[in-house]
Amino acid sequence: MSAMPAVALERVTFRYSGAKAGIFDLSLGIEPGELVVCIGPSGCGKTTLLKLIAGFLRPESGRVRLGGEDVTAATVRARQCGVVFQSYALFPHMTVWENVAYPLRVRDVAVAARRRKASELLELVGLAGLDDRLPAQLSGGQQQRVALARALAFEPRALLLDEPLSALDAATRVAMRDEVRRIQKSQNIAALLITHDQDEALSLADRIAVLREGRLVQYADPHTVYDRPASAFVADFVGRANLIDSTAVAPDAVDTPIGRLLTPAHGAAAGAPLKLLVRPERVEVVAVPNGENVFAARVVRDRFFGATRQIELAIGGGTLKIETATRGAVAQIRIPRDAIQFLPWQ
Amino acid sequence: MSRWITAAYLAYLIAPIVLLVVGSFGESWFNTLLPTGLTSKWYLQVATDPSFRRAFGASLFVAAMTCLACVAVGLPLAYAVYRAHSPRIRAVARALYLLPVALPALVLAFGFILVFSSDTLPWLGSPWLLVAGHIVLGLPYFLQAVVADMQRLGLRVLEEAAESLGARGPQRFLHIVLPALRHSILSGLIVVAALSIGEFQFSNLVAGFLSRTYPVVLLQAFYGATGFACAATVILLALALAASVGGALSARGATRVSAVQG
Repeated sequence: MSAMPAVALERVTFRYSGAKAGIFDLSLGIEPGELVVCIGPSGCGKTTLLKLIAGFLRPESGRVRLGGEDVTAATVRARQCGVVFQSYALFPHMTVWENVAYPLRVRDVAVAARRRKASELLELVGLAGLDDRLPAQLSGGQQQRVALARALAFEPRALLLDEPLSALDAATRVAMRDEVRRIQKSQNIAALLITHDQDEALSLADRIAVLREGRLVQYADPHTVYDRPASAFVADFVGRANLIDSTAVAPDAVDTPIGRLLTPAHGAAAGAPLKLLVRPERVEVVAVPNGENVFAARVVRDRFFGATRQIELAIGGGTLKIETATRGAVAQIRIPRDAIQFLPWQ
Repeated sequence: MSRWITAAYLAYLIAPIVLLVVGSFGESWFNTLLPTGLTSKWYLQVATDPSFRRAFGASLFVAAMTCLACVAVGLPLAYAVYRAHSPRIRAVARALYLLPVALPALVLAFGFILVFSSDTLPWLGSPWLLVAGHIVLGLPYFLQAVVADMQRLGLRVLEEAAESLGARGPQRFLHIVLPALRHSILSGLIVVAALSIGEFQFSNLVAGFLSRTYPVVLLQAFYGATGFACAATVILLALALAASVGGALSARGATRVSAVQG
């Protein structure tokens, strides 16, 4: 692609004074119209990353570019990024339309034009007719929509959302996911959304950036992140995972705490340590106790979720998590050979 | 049971006030449980008494100046405390600015007398000295109200939001900071004004003869007619009441607006 990325971080490093936390040598680009979801455990630097792009923080080294322009030294105002804050940060003394039109007010747009633009945006976010309410009179989800409309009102160069859905109840959160994506796509704006919710990341993102201790550990589309995680950390953080330590015994077999497993060819010498990934939903419950990679299992814990059950099994000297729709008893399971992946040893 | 305790407490609270009001309209009150006769002459007398008139004006002047100074000094101070990076600094600053609450006004007055009766700073008796003292006594309450409101509103994030939306520093102050804090500034000021208007200990020692405030002059009234003293006190009471009702109303307005953040 020859087009400039809308947002680009080039080898950015930032350290909080007196703390080990920060961002280290991080590079990342967001294409125009792309929705990137940044995910990682708390304290991994997600919000720092957003603040570096918005300009609330300045990097120690490296560059920040918006639409190709170097804004590393630019002020927050000059960067013109639309930011949606976790707490929404609506101005409590202004009505809904005044909130949405505030960026136009500081740009000296006439009142009538401001009102018109605010109404348009409120319609876009599904709040038509609520122009004259105060933020306090709206539900959490509605406040979220106002914050989104306000961040879009001045045609920003990028949309930055800091855990925008974390304060909503579960049902609203799922509905708002689709809304955020619809609105972002309708404006065709580059967006970075911060979250610690893996479901949110998988269902929303064009690309997922996985952060760990201030470093970017994987940056890829949701399928790749889930199916081909770059490390055990990613596998465990995004989705549920069985991470199994094993020792190579043959070119396509390993010894594990749960027994000997036949695997795809791994090419490691006998005796070499290998880390395996098996996603719980890939494990099959079988009726007959023989066949390739079939093991007798004892149920340790059985949690029922309606559509599926998440079961923890004791097998040999190890444990295995599985997810199955089966309602019946689980006495033996099969691990299909192609459900086994090798991860870098860490 | 609790109802009776409440009723008894309310009676205890209100009885002296009721007696004052009754006394202020009584013709004469001497060796009887209640005064006899009905008159408004005491109020007229207070209103025409030159020393009371001057004291009333002095009190309003001192209260107004104290309020102005509290905003001018207190708002930047509150902001600095709120924005302090380290929680340790915030805690120490809070302890420091609340210190005058524990300081007896008497001690403050003695300090002022020591310093300002000297030949180098011979300002004892100036109304500005009263203002200076009332600032020390009132500022803690103003700061407390405003800093708490800043924290509750999450003023910092509001400002960051405004900045990201393109607002310059002065715009952020005029459009966001001042209007968002208007209720706590107002209720803080009403406490300061009520404090300043009712303050006696400090003013009695530091005020000059011509800058005596209302409560200081009021003390003299009790050497004269009971009805006159009652009427003069009721006026002070009305002022204080107006202040506290105003404070309660603006505090209620603030909680209604701030329900947003909840």
